[in-house]
Amino acid sequence: MIGFMKKDLAMMKSNLKLIGVLIVVYAIMGLMGEMDISFILPFMSVMIMISTFSYDNYNQWDAYSISLPNGRKNSVKAKYVATILMILAISIITTILSFMISYMNTKTIPYEQILISMFGTIFGTLLVLTFMYPIIYKFGVEKARIGIFLIVFGLVMIGGFLSPYINLSWIVKVLSFLEDYLIIILIIIAIMMVYLSYKISEKIFDKKEF
Amino acid sequence: MENILEVKNLCKKYDNFALKNITFHLPKGMIMGFIGENGAGKTTTIKAILDIVKSYSGEIHIFGLDNRKDERKIKEDIGVVLDDMFFPEILTPNDINHTMKGIYKNWDTKMFYDYLKEFSLLPNKQIKTFSKGMRKKLEIITALSHHPKLLILDEPTSGLDPVARAEVIQIFQSFIEKDDCSILLSSHITTDLEHIADYITFINHGEIVLSKTTNALLDQYGIVKCTEKEFKEIDKKDYIKYRKTKYEYEVLVENKKNLKEKYDIAVIDKITLDDLMVLMIKGEE
Repeated sequence: MIGFMKKDLAMMKSNLKLIGVLIVVYAIMGLMGEMDISFILPFMSVMIMISTFSYDNYNQWDAYSISLPNGRKNSVKAKYVATILMILAISIITTILSFMISYMNTKTIPYEQILISMFGTIFGTLLVLTFMYPIIYKFGVEKARIGIFLIVFGLVMIGGFLSPYINLSWIVKVLSFLEDYLIIILIIIAIMMVYLSYKISEKIFDKKEF
Repeated sequence: MENILEVKNLCKKYDNFALKNITFHLPKGMIMGFIGENGAGKTTTIKAILDIVKSYSGEIHIFGLDNRKDERKIKEDIGVVLDDMFFPEILTPNDINHTMKGIYKNWDTKMFYDYLKEFSLLPNKQIKTFSKGMRKKLEIITALSHHPKLLILDEPTSGLDPVARAEVIQIFQSFIEKDDCSILLSSHITTDLEHIADYITFINHGEIVLSKTTNALLDQYGIVKCTEKEFKEIDKKDYIKYRKTKYEYEVLVENKKNLKEKYDIAVIDKITLDDLMVLMIKGEE
């Protein structure tokens, strides 16, 4: 699996430089007291990782990867592990930066809020991965992009249409009841959904022909 | 003789094409040329051997092991070049080295860089800057650099100029001599195969037409070039296919010696693999 991960990371080299530049921009904007863009960076890392699927597809890498030892399983596992490591690494870097900016700035952000923001961002990014990867393995990157756009657009439309008729106060009540355990619950949910997503992707790729 | 690869009754059905009972074997230390026209089933057979296509029936044994049950163990000892390009273009040979080091237990970094030098491929250049021939060489180098016992090569010399082709074929030959390994090599360039292949397996419309040693094939098979009158004297049982050209009949025969004795034919031309393919595909029975 390590080899497959190295390949994916090598493919992201130039894009990682871009993230490096954005981290610097974020630090400068933070010091100047401008808006917080830290949540964008982990999302960008997932989008960059998704672009590796396009390269794989264009160069027929998937067929070749199956000819390598344990290729069917390892190539899927590597995509998930590499993405999760990227999300965690970039989230940790931006969080440390947020702490430093908050320490140096006059307009300090409470440390608790920074941590909640980090967990929220990681959860949101993993949610994207959870839905996107099985769709990509099943239909390819291009169709998956359109598909995810339609799903998000559809959900927003349905939500907007139904919101006047639905009472959402119970969600607020449940969340405030679980407040003390929220982060642990989010972590458990994240692990479960990513594992399920991985198993689905593995199954899809296992049946694929090239 | 021990067989490195055995394919028995391999069947695979698509809507408009099927592999039908593909059966052949490749003995240890031998090179097998796998020939046939485009769409005959060469790539599908190779992909079935490598489990890239699924839901096929039949048995495939490599190193005496089942290709699906013992997949991991088998693939450690196979080097592969596929027909289509397979390395993402933004990678460099250095990246390929790092990748393969994490995939193959026997990956030989020194061997890989020695080959890169021999073929004048720069290690830090992105593959997208390479010509088609250079990319093919990189794929071949990668297939060789983990000391495989079997090479499975789908059109490895396509896109190479004659000089590069000769270099690559030389590498295949020294690979066989050095490590007592075997090669399954599909190619359209049949002249290359005549020089290096010990066995020829010919596939047409998803069926194996013949699988023989190259020497037996080139010694026994022949082409009779004759007039219509002479052709009509030859019994149907004594030829495989014939083709009427502008000036003469070309008749493919399986046993040159017998035919010479039976019909008093003075000249029976030696056959080339190209002739064999054309007559088998285009000829009439």
